[in-house]
Amino acid sequence: MGLPVYLLRTLGALAVTAVLVATLVFFATDALPGDAAAVRTGTDASDAARAAIRAELGLDAPAYARYAAWWGDLLQGDLGTSYRERRPVATILAERLPVTAALASFAWLASLLVGVGLGLAAAARPGSAVDRGVLAFTTAGLALPEFWVGFVLLLAFAVTWPVLPLLGLPSDGGLGAWATHLILPVATLALPRAAQLARVVRATALERRRADWMRTVRAKGAGPLRQTRHLAANALPALLPLVALEAGGLLTGTIVVEQVFGLPGLGATLIGAIGARDVPVVQGATLLAVAVYVLVNVAADLAQAAADPRVRDA
Amino acid sequence: MHRAVRSLARTLALTVALALPAGGVAQTLVIASGAQPDTLDPQATSATSAFQIAKSIYDTLVEVARDGTIQPLLAESWTVDEAGTTWTFTLNEATFHDGTPFDATDVVASLTRIADPDVSPKADEFEAIDAVVAVDARTVRLELSRPAPALLASLASGWGAMLPSEKLEAGHDFGTDPVGTGAFRLDTWVRDGYVRLEANPDYFAGAPAIDAAEIRFVTDAAVQAQGLLAGDFHVIADPATADLPTLETNPDVELVREPSGTVLVTSINTRRPYLEDPRVRRALNLAVDADTVLEVAYGGGTPTGTFMEPGSPWLPADVEPYGYDPERARALLDEAGVPDDLTLDMALPQPYEVHVQAGQIVQDMLGDVGIDVDIRVVEWGVWLGEVYGGPRDFDLTVIGHTGKLDPTGRLGGYGDPDATYTGWDDPEAATLLAEAAQVSDRATREALYADVLTRLHDDPPFVYFGASNRSYAQRTDVNGFWITPLLDSFDLRSVTLD
Repeated sequence: MGLPVYLLRTLGALAVTAVLVATLVFFATDALPGDAAAVRTGTDASDAARAAIRAELGLDAPAYARYAAWWGDLLQGDLGTSYRERRPVATILAERLPVTAALASFAWLASLLVGVGLGLAAAARPGSAVDRGVLAFTTAGLALPEFWVGFVLLLAFAVTWPVLPLLGLPSDGGLGAWATHLILPVATLALPRAAQLARVVRATALERRRADWMRTVRAKGAGPLRQTRHLAANALPALLPLVALEAGGLLTGTIVVEQVFGLPGLGATLIGAIGARDVPVVQGATLLAVAVYVLVNVAADLAQAAADPRVRDA
Repeated sequence: MHRAVRSLARTLALTVALALPAGGVAQTLVIASGAQPDTLDPQATSATSAFQIAKSIYDTLVEVARDGTIQPLLAESWTVDEAGTTWTFTLNEATFHDGTPFDATDVVASLTRIADPDVSPKADEFEAIDAVVAVDARTVRLELSRPAPALLASLASGWGAMLPSEKLEAGHDFGTDPVGTGAFRLDTWVRDGYVRLEANPDYFAGAPAIDAAEIRFVTDAAVQAQGLLAGDFHVIADPATADLPTLETNPDVELVREPSGTVLVTSINTRRPYLEDPRVRRALNLAVDADTVLEVAYGGGTPTGTFMEPGSPWLPADVEPYGYDPERARALLDEAGVPDDLTLDMALPQPYEVHVQAGQIVQDMLGDVGIDVDIRVVEWGVWLGEVYGGPRDFDLTVIGHTGKLDPTGRLGGYGDPDATYTGWDDPEAATLLAEAAQVSDRATREALYADVLTRLHDDPPFVYFGASNRSYAQRTDVNGFWITPLLDSFDLRSVTLD
């Protein structure tokens, strides 16, 4: 299969996934009791006022008509206007994406470094104290929920021993302030992913080390460094799909972590939009997540092909 | 060596000088609040969270003082004629944030817009206005179709804000780029993050003492409290009931508790079997120990026996709280023929933990008089769409009704079974309320409302708990911060930081 065909197929899959997800999310959100007009007016407005807002937002039209109109706008590149904020959805997403992207990519990098490092360290001498320590770390990392870890980190490093800021993003202070505000959220988000990765890296490395070709490598007198290089080259293609999957999982993880740390990212937007029955924003954020997820997987496929001659040449 | 030290000292001094604005340390008040605005266009919302902040950016003709009375703001004075249908306001001199002067044409444009139901959910409060006339630059006359005593309260509320006419005509987006005459102007608004306001040095009533204020949106009440203790926040608006003892004992922190206008109730769907019987609803009131509910779930409050907060001038003196008397409750239930296996459906709104907790206490107490309660916790949007509105599918629910400057706001619709979620049906009360809304004479109004409130006691559509204490906490170096009674907006104009 050549690259153009592969790309075409992937884009086709992306389109189909997007249509299915958008449809599902639209009708699921629409089926929720209460609508944007009810949430906006709360307990403090007359039925007439509520009806006027419903008409203004176009909520008095039947669901299928609103659904069709949403697609009509989307095909012209218009994601619509938020019911709650009364601003274009595209503007809102563009404002929020950098926070989530920074959080997710730093967490992804951190989990990669820590996960691979710990996995290799544990695999170097199975049964050793290091290996047992890594096992304890990964068990804890996988078992503890993010909202709990986040809160404990907050209490420890922002309250009891206040070396890091409590939450949110700084209103001034530039890059340094941003970075200190991101340390705890990134650690919270990276922890379970690093744990998962460390386990797989350890298992993969151990399995490969027992393989016949590794015995040959060792028989040829290769030192530990050279052995590791051979090991890495062989194990990398097997690990790439997992790493990509983790990157996709980060998107859901950011929703929880943004809530705990009060970060104004896409996750916080999505939760607020569901609560406000802000269907256009829910739709837009979901589509964006689908696109990112598919693209990350495409990138992983391409990277795997580059790393594994068998896939590349097939 | 000496030279090196001197040079280092010079560098440090320069760095410090550059980091600080002229005149010393910039003073920023940091407030943590759980609720954020949907928009900063004060005429396009009914959300308390929007007015909380809009109050600092916009001014109204009149405003509510700390004691609850209405006092001048942008209007330096006003007169009402004998018939109560011609109101004349004399305006103060003020300037909008964009530099244009505030005058009568701005009042005309603002009041015309707020009365438009396509713009404002509060439009019907202004429907008595026939015409707004700019007599001269500093005089405005309101001509009303009928006496409308509640209008003054509406003009004092956040939605009565004055906006610049030029920008209104140009279709300016006040929701994201607010322009008012207020003591602060919007600097940045990061949604789900914070609103930063900077002081308006040209404020007509005198520039604020602080340079800026940041309202940070922190939904977790425990995190608010931790942040206050750690010094990250100066004020927290929503301390959790569980954190009150800690906040009360910490020497760096002052816990402020004051009566609020929010009446906390278990609402009863009077359309449902057995609940349509007033005896049963009286029995429910007797079966619930309101003091315990207020203390345990809400961190303290004052009981009331009708749908008005204690301390309100409108509350008739002879209406007492029901009191806790499970014996009489059981007798009343027997008399009404309530079967032993009656099970009621109680819908409780998430994420309002206090109401959920209160509901659980009520469930216990009703169990003691032989009524089973099934609790169903529903998300806020579902509550609005299915309990408060829509099919009104519930037997019981727990909620707080926020205070209103004028009783019209709280009592409007009661008596008409289709107009409120309780389905309370009392045509006589509806007639009395309609009359009270059009009478100028204060004593007559008081008598009419007293009559309605007595009816709401004798034939209760609610189990009345009482009014909650509003609590907020601040660091001891904060002075002059207060929250307006009944409207619950922050007043930052006289805040100073030690």
